[in-house]
Amino acid sequence: MKQHRKKRLINILLISLLSGSGVLMVLYALNTNLDYFYTPSEIISEKLPSNKRVKVGGMVREGSVTRNGEDISFVITDYEESISVQYKGIVPDLFKEGSGVVALGYMENNSLKAEKVLAKHDENYMPPALNK
Amino acid sequence: MLVDLSHFLSVLSTTLFLLTSTLVLVLDCNKKHSSILIKRAFSHAFILLFFSFAIYVYLAATDDFSVVYISQHSNSMLPTFYKVTSIWSAHEGSMFLWILFLSAWGFVFNLNKDSNLKIKNFAIGIVSIIIVGFQLFLLITSNPFETNLPFSPANGADINPVLQDPALAIHPPFLYLGYVGFVIPFAYGLAFLLNGNAGINWEKVVRSWSVSAWIFLTIGICLGSWWAYYELGWGGYWFWDPVENVALMPWLAATAFVHSLSVASKSKSLRIWTLLLSIIVFSLSLFGAFIVRSGIIDSIHSFANDPQRGMYLLVFIGIILFSSLWLFTSRFDLLTSKTKIKSFSKESFISLNNIFFGVLIFATMMGITYPLIYELAYDQKISVGAPFYNAIYAPVTVLASIILIISIESKWGRSFKKIQKFNQLNLSLALSLVAAISLYFYANNGSVIIYISAFVGFLLLIRYLILLVFNTFQKKHINISSMLAHMGLGMLILSVSANSIFSSERVFNMYPNDIKTYRNISISFDDLQLINNSNHDSIRAVFKVVDSNGKSSLLYPEKRKYFVRGQITSETAIKATPLKDIYITIGDQLDNKSWVVNVQLNYFIRYVWLSAIMMALSGLIIVISSYRSKS
Amino acid sequence: MKQILKILVFLVPFCIFAFFYTYLSKDNSYPGADYRVFEIPSFALTELYTETELSNEDLSGNFLINVWASWCITCRVEHGFLEKLSNNGIRIVGLNYKDERSDAIDWLKKYRDPYELVIHDFNGSLALDMGVTGAPETFLISNGKVIAHYRGEVNQMIWEDVFIRVIKDSEIIL
Repeated sequence: MKQHRKKRLINILLISLLSGSGVLMVLYALNTNLDYFYTPSEIISEKLPSNKRVKVGGMVREGSVTRNGEDISFVITDYEESISVQYKGIVPDLFKEGSGVVALGYMENNSLKAEKVLAKHDENYMPPALNK
Repeated sequence: MLVDLSHFLSVLSTTLFLLTSTLVLVLDCNKKHSSILIKRAFSHAFILLFFSFAIYVYLAATDDFSVVYISQHSNSMLPTFYKVTSIWSAHEGSMFLWILFLSAWGFVFNLNKDSNLKIKNFAIGIVSIIIVGFQLFLLITSNPFETNLPFSPANGADINPVLQDPALAIHPPFLYLGYVGFVIPFAYGLAFLLNGNAGINWEKVVRSWSVSAWIFLTIGICLGSWWAYYELGWGGYWFWDPVENVALMPWLAATAFVHSLSVASKSKSLRIWTLLLSIIVFSLSLFGAFIVRSGIIDSIHSFANDPQRGMYLLVFIGIILFSSLWLFTSRFDLLTSKTKIKSFSKESFISLNNIFFGVLIFATMMGITYPLIYELAYDQKISVGAPFYNAIYAPVTVLASIILIISIESKWGRSFKKIQKFNQLNLSLALSLVAAISLYFYANNGSVIIYISAFVGFLLLIRYLILLVFNTFQKKHINISSMLAHMGLGMLILSVSANSIFSSERVFNMYPNDIKTYRNISISFDDLQLINNSNHDSIRAVFKVVDSNGKSSLLYPEKRKYFVRGQITSETAIKATPLKDIYITIGDQLDNKSWVVNVQLNYFIRYVWLSAIMMALSGLIIVISSYRSKS
Repeated sequence: MKQILKILVFLVPFCIFAFFYTYLSKDNSYPGADYRVFEIPSFALTELYTETELSNEDLSGNFLINVWASWCITCRVEHGFLEKLSNNGIRIVGLNYKDERSDAIDWLKKYRDPYELVIHDFNGSLALDMGVTGAPETFLISNGKVIAHYRGEVNQMIWEDVFIRVIKDSEIIL
């Protein structure tokens, strides 16, 4: 019988060890891989280290979008503060002045160097069709 | 009005499903005549529901905009196919489809002959009460039959043009068929517990049903991934979006479940765990439905925010989950296995892999809920993205695959002391190592873990191929479904790794008639056309792409403007070759009339979906062979 | 041993369930709702039908401002509910947003006019100053100030959870 119990113990130990390390691994990975979301006001008020990847969300300020070849720059505002954003690439179709946007990247000299630009998906925001 | 008829039929079917469950409670379920009564009640309830839905389809197809839901999600300018598929493009209609499928599974299962009448009737009773719960949810909080009357719109709002797509149109039906299919093992497992006879092999009964549901879920997820790839313009095939994750969790649990079913039905061990898994799988499916509809998750996939509905759904799911768990904990003693699992037997390896599946499900669940927890606790928004999931999935998958390779040597019910097929394993290891190392020297790009994954992918594929060759020569038995499924896994791991190693993209600024070269491929901007369609206008660019092998093809990326909503979308243009996809999207036109053009080279991406197909096929083999062996 | 496992089996789903229950009960459920209070910006626009000049002095008391347009599909869906509110005596001022005057008038003729007054904001200047980013949007006004703003379609549920709540809290009579 002792053999049986020993085997049982090994089983339980193995399961707990594996599950436990799995759980720990998950929690560790979670904490080291978070993307923090800020509004422009929050970015300006907090001093963020430049090596922290952040998500900034708000509205694309009307008249702020300028394009130069593959580069695009615009301003994200929450109607109180604004952050300028630089991005190289194609912006999503829902990206428009006066519409919601989230940019993911690193802050550099008070402006955001975006690696990704996501437009807010919302069916209620319909700018008028200018030619009808 | 037809919509009222449809509504009436739905309500009637609810009462009949309620009757069915009542019958199961009051009648003696052992008797044949009770069985017939219950069967009839359920079938009639299903037929009524079916006709209710059929009428609704007719209403959608014929532009009955007096129905609120149809006026919100369809439009007379849509092709008929999309008028019908618009039914499941949002909450109420897709819930209706969900319920239809739930009862359809019950209906087909009910037709099945089962020697144990009592358990089968109990199972049908459980399915019925679940259907009633969902129907009440639908009729009370999410009524698809509401009319606009007396005010009837002349035309409907167009659905999101992004939803007008064949893959996206059939992706929900496949997904739902998968999700709800797990009600069968769930109900049957509980019915078995209620019945109390441990000798019955309920695992064998539900196996084909579970595998069938798993096949649908696999295909549903695959379709979603494929659609996202060509539609969203980012060239990715998986985004770890919460809505994708809630489909992945039941899939992981279901995969663990069908493996445990094999163990339990073959060797009568792991029975308690298997039954618990049947509850977990179905609960995760329900959880998926909840998350998407509750408005908690803000995602491109999610249905409109509605916390109140979310609450109803959460409570309903809670009732199902906790009552089944209570039943489980009070009765699982009868499932205690007489046979113990021998160490290093096939059963022991499968049990071990269950832990890996558990870790993946836990990780995914944490990825979904942690941002919410954080927000509740610290009032700050965070998000969890691909880096987290990759950090967990990569090592766990590699580890699980290694265990899988070792388990090939093992046998059912016996421990293995030495590696029997030593030559085969050695050969596979050697070949895979050579392949992985050559890959590394050829590509010279990417982290070590990617190459380890690639090695494991190679190993899975090669090991099984060698097994196939040797066993064919030695005229030994080959388990084709297991082979195909696990090779599918290997294919998945390998193609994901290779895609990550080789793929690249570049943004160009091009004028019409420009030619650019990217990685030995020449891309010339040949033409720009304006095209008018029934519900949208489009600007279509023509690119001539000449591949490194000299083959040239034309690609037509577009920018479309849909009339009814003024929405602008991009259509990607893809040239698929065996090795890679050449993927072009156009961005905006700049003031100087030049265009922003994005060119991606996505390597081995088609093999990701091929692996899903391989897995689905392996399931089909199981279902067909078990059907054959029955008759 | 078995007891521990039994408890565990319940505990894990219970934690998840309890968490979501708490999360759903929390009040952040309406991202479209904005409760910041501000004065109605000064404007000089015209009335939709008569083209008479309108400015802040013409707006008094407690009422809703509903931003709408003939090109806005969701507005059509919202319209039925606005009619219901107006039939119950709630004053609604329409802000016609970036719309051709004739299109707007035709739309109101076709679907019936629930508004006490309609301001024609062709360029969207007043809307822009009020933070409007699309249609439909609805503002709750009390004594020349915006006290609630909802972006999106107002239906029974939103009306109760967003607007009625503010109305009760500020004890105004609409």
